[in-house]
This record gives sequence, C-alpha cells and structure tokens, in this order.
Amino acid sequence: MAGNVLISSYLSGLRRRLPASLADEVSDGLIEAYQQHLASGQSADVAARAAVTETGDLAHVVGEFIRQAPGRSTARTLLAIGPVVGGCWIATHAWSWPMPAAVRLGFGAALLFMISGLAVAATSRRSYRRTRLTAVAGPGLVILDATVITTALLVAPVLSWPLVIAVAASLTRMALTLTALPRIS
Amino acid sequence: MKAEAQVLKGHLDMLLLATLENGPRHGYAVREALREASRSRFDLPTGTIYPALRRLETAGLVKGRWSTAGGRRRRTYELTAAGRRRLAGDRAAWRDFTSVVSAILEPASWPATS
Repeated sequence: MAGNVLISSYLSGLRRRLPASLADEVSDGLIEAYQQHLASGQSADVAARAAVTETGDLAHVVGEFIRQAPGRSTARTLLAIGPVVGGCWIATHAWSWPMPAAVRLGFGAALLFMISGLAVAATSRRSYRRTRLTAVAGPGLVILDATVITTALLVAPVLSWPLVIAVAASLTRMALTLTALPRIS
Repeated sequence: MKAEAQVLKGHLDMLLLATLENGPRHGYAVREALREASRSRFDLPTGTIYPALRRLETAGLVKGRWSTAGGRRRRTYELTAAGRRRLAGDRAAWRDFTSVVSAILEPASWPATS
C-alpha cells in the first residue's frame, strides 16, 4: 500500500517476519482499516495511525502468530512425549543389542539433532521461521522411529512385552507426527 | 479495558465462532462484528484475531479460503460442522454458567440462618 510511510513500513515488517500467507492476511486487514478511515474523512497520517492501532503493534502481532504457530505446539507435544517413548525403549535394554558402535553413535547424534531442532521450534518467541524447524525435525523423528522399530524386529533377541510396548509407543508418535505435519505452515 | 481484554481472551474462541455463525467473514470484518455487537467495548486488535482464526482453522472449527478484493488477497472464514457443534456446546455451557453465577449474586436469594 503505497502512499503512507507508516503503512508501508508496517507491511514490509510483516513480510520480513511472517510467511507470505500470514503477512497477506494481516496486510488486507490493515489496508481495509486504512481505507475506511480515509473514507471517513481523516487525513492520511491520522488514518494510518488509527489503522496501525487497530491492527496492533507489529511485535505483538508477530508474537501472537508465533505463540499459536502449529510448528511450535507440535514441537512442544513431541518434546513432552519424547521421554515416555525413550523410557519405553530403555526398558527393552536396547543398548545390549548386537550393533556396531558407529551405528549407535550415528543414531544418538541424529536423535540429538532432531531434539535440538524441536527445542528451538518449541521455544521460539521472536522468529516464526524457527517454529518451522518442526517440519524438518518431525520427519526426522519419524525416520528414527521407523529405524529403531525395524532394527528391533531384526536384531532383538526375544519378543518381550517391553519391546511390544516400545514399538507401540514409537508407532503412536509416528502417527501423531505425520498427522500434525501437514498443518505446519 | 486492559483487564476486560484479558478476560475476553479466555472466551475469544467462542466469540469468534459466534461472529461466523451467520456466514463467512474475513478477519477485519470479524473484528468489526465483535466491536459492533459489544457496542465498542470489545475492541480487539485484528493482530490478535488473525492468529486465533488460524488456530481455529488448524483445529478444524473454521475453514478459510482465499479470494481477491480490491487487488489484494483476502482470507475469508466460515464455520465447519465441528465449529457449529463447538459453538452450540460453548453457548449452552456459558448460559448455564451465567445463570448459576447470577443466582448466587442475587442478594435476595440467600436463605437466612439463625
């Protein structure tokens, strides 16, 4: 919306800090408010100030989107259930399976990487982009769950109740993650 | 108004669903509907309303779609069947709650004790 510095500055701030679809939506409301104030006879500067006040402080608007971002809430859920799933696998004595040390280290490093990504997404307060890390860490976690289930079925010495429960826990997490991922924008 | 806005936030979802009950609206129109229905007492910034609408959409309670208005992209929301059920439930719960609170606050309703 050309013609007013305040409006233009607000719009460029939106585009810098939010995904295009969210920025477009807020921009439409801001411009609608600006035009209505102009139509009521206000000067451009007064109309722009009123429109920005009605839309809300830019940092607050961006913060609200971040706080309610699907990527952030999904990351929080996955972090919350992580210890439960991990505990189930620990109960299977998975560390005693016949596996090369390099594979164990690789799995551990990958898991740590995914958890770090989720932690950044879950705690982001100023960057919407960071909440989208869940779109990377989530599928990564699904792959790790699939890997550990496949490994368990191939190398676990016996089929025990703890193993059945751990597989069920991982499958549940996979389903939860795959359901939530399409909603992350 | 600050304290009122905080209280309002607790009921924001129900109020947003109610504004969409009679047909689709875009975010700014939702804000205006809230303001007009409350006689300007609920004057929320649209920046609070948009994220809430997106959250309701993620929850499957409203459905958004893009159109073009005045050369701009505009997102309009409408209630889903789940949204209508939620609104009906919230409305019934709210009426029940307010009737109970009103009965308690009514000064003449307390029985005398001796």
